[in-house]
Amino acid sequence: MHFTVDREQFVQHVQNVNKAVSSRTTIPILTGIKIIAAADGVTLTGSDSDISIETFIPAEENDNQYVQVQEQGSIVLQARFFAEIVKKLPGEEIEVVVQDQFATTIRSGSVVFNLNGLDPEEYPRLPKLDDTNMFHLPQSLLKDMIRQTVFAVSAQETRPVLTGVNLESENGELICTATDSHRLALRKANLEAGSDAPDLSNIVIPGKSLNELSRLLSDDDSTVEIIITETQVMFRFPHLLFYSRLLDGKYPVTKNMIPSETKTGVELSTKELLQSLDRALLLSRETKNNVINLKTLGDGRVEINSVSSEIGKVTENIDCDKIDGEELRISFNGKNITDALKVIDSEKIHIQFTGAMSPFVVRPTDHDQMLHLFSPVRTY
Amino acid sequence: MSWEAMLEEQPTVMSLLERSMNKDRVAHAYIFEGKAGAGKRETALLMAQRFFCVENSAVPCGECRECRRITHGNHSEVMFLQPEGASIKKAQVEMLQKEFTYKGMEARLKIYIIEDADRMTASAANSLLKFLEEPESPTLAILLTENAHFLLDTIQSRAQKISFSPPSIERRRRLFQEREGTGEIAAGLLAKLPHVPERESEAALAEWIVQGRNLVIQLTEEVHQRLHSALLTLQDKWLGHFSDREELDIGLDMLLFWYRDLLSITYGSDDITYFDQKATLERVALRFSEMEVVARLQAILEAKRRLRANANAQLLMEHLLIQLQEGS
Repeated sequence: MHFTVDREQFVQHVQNVNKAVSSRTTIPILTGIKIIAAADGVTLTGSDSDISIETFIPAEENDNQYVQVQEQGSIVLQARFFAEIVKKLPGEEIEVVVQDQFATTIRSGSVVFNLNGLDPEEYPRLPKLDDTNMFHLPQSLLKDMIRQTVFAVSAQETRPVLTGVNLESENGELICTATDSHRLALRKANLEAGSDAPDLSNIVIPGKSLNELSRLLSDDDSTVEIIITETQVMFRFPHLLFYSRLLDGKYPVTKNMIPSETKTGVELSTKELLQSLDRALLLSRETKNNVINLKTLGDGRVEINSVSSEIGKVTENIDCDKIDGEELRISFNGKNITDALKVIDSEKIHIQFTGAMSPFVVRPTDHDQMLHLFSPVRTY
Repeated sequence: MSWEAMLEEQPTVMSLLERSMNKDRVAHAYIFEGKAGAGKRETALLMAQRFFCVENSAVPCGECRECRRITHGNHSEVMFLQPEGASIKKAQVEMLQKEFTYKGMEARLKIYIIEDADRMTASAANSLLKFLEEPESPTLAILLTENAHFLLDTIQSRAQKISFSPPSIERRRRLFQEREGTGEIAAGLLAKLPHVPERESEAALAEWIVQGRNLVIQLTEEVHQRLHSALLTLQDKWLGHFSDREELDIGLDMLLFWYRDLLSITYGSDDITYFDQKATLERVALRFSEMEVVARLQAILEAKRRLRANANAQLLMEHLLIQLQEGS
């Protein structure tokens, strides 16, 4: 293998793939970055087996020549050293040559590094791109969907499948669900007309991978392609592929958990409720149970209070836009609610209660693409 | 090691595995039990290779990229767990479990191999248990151990146990010789011993064996020429060197090998433990009839039996030496 590459481009791409490389891996070859030089450009791959990032530096783009490939081939180089080395090279261009026994020479300006490479044949193979289960979404929308669901995934490993976000499609809608069995966050999105509505069910993407992915997503409307294979999901950006392994196991059916009737309905400002709960949490956070009580007051207000026997108590009344249905007293985990309120971008929310012992639903009032479900806490 | 070589080494085990793989009746978990050097790890690797080998033939090729990746521990679907320090800790098992909650990176089947599985801590073994029983996806577990009885009963009952026959003497000899500080002489002796004592280091063990061997040579020479000095050597050195029952048993074994060598020489066999003493052995062999040698072998075996019956070590040895001198 022998190629010369523009340093700036190379450094940026190496840093991108290096995000996926972990030093704590049980598979020795994954401590490296795989480099493939082909006629049309250079491909870099990094992986910690959970997520993999593959980037491509084209030989030519927009009349700029980035790569000159003298001889095609591939090599795996230790990421720890390689990433540092390319960053600190002085020249405008970097030349990489692989000789026998994977001995690699990196040359830039007057600097020469000789590195011992690893056998590229040993590197895991990433799944082949197969366009049958593919759809695309605007990057900003996907980023929002991740932000609005991923906070609700379970942090405990007791039910591993709950550490991920479930993807399914129904009637041309994409539905993301995350739950830790105490709360549930659901976000829908219309799939773009034109893209064949794929048939998805039980695709569970680890929350950790999604957090990593959302760092790569931009806030504009450029689209990202999503391709689902049997074992992995891929997100295709221009010149960059993000792979994540899927979680194994059956995701619980969440559809019939969501109550349909309403006993008490409350409509109020998102911000006011969030601030009020934040204040109430000051006390209940100390006891670690985050319990907050809510009571309807009959005069269009609700009372939020929290009692901590050692520290004291807090009471606050909030004006609501609308209260209908039965009188209600309910206790819940305030931390879960604030987590959800923080990702609701709408000004007003509607809370749908179905009794003090049954779960309740929080929805924004201006659209029906988002839903948060919480189970109450029994306090007596 | 190739599949064929392993088949020769462990015919029962390999043909059993071969049959169940051919008929697609592989259990979800195996316990491979056998002495060090019996080829448990190699067999586990071969089994994994057989599943992933791209050649798709009856035996893994050992050369395709899948086979090579498995040998080098670079295969993403084949995982190894080894004791960290003295034991396999709960955190390690949990990490393995976490790994297995994901779908495979490349393939559907996932294999994990736990080496020295008997060294799992109780809590590690218990967390493995659940996972062993209800894996989420197609999984093959292979637990390697020298003593399956140290595994939890509940683990034993959930896996198919496969006993490996002890490795051949030649193979054991080679293994010992690869150890640090172990020469040809010590390795030859260690390979033949049914049980290898614990020492602080491998070099110390080899040193101890070589010294014991010199004592055997000295004692056998003295016993036939000057019994009183043999008794002195016994008191002076032998009982100090083979200080407890277990060690004395090894001493008796080494003595046994000497007399067996005499018999081998008489019959012209090449299987000689004290191969560097061949000249002495040949000289001594001339003086004894086969019956006389056999009588001495019997005396040593009798001494070994009495040792197990808690006889006093010194009396036992003195009695034995007199028998060896008289030949009855």
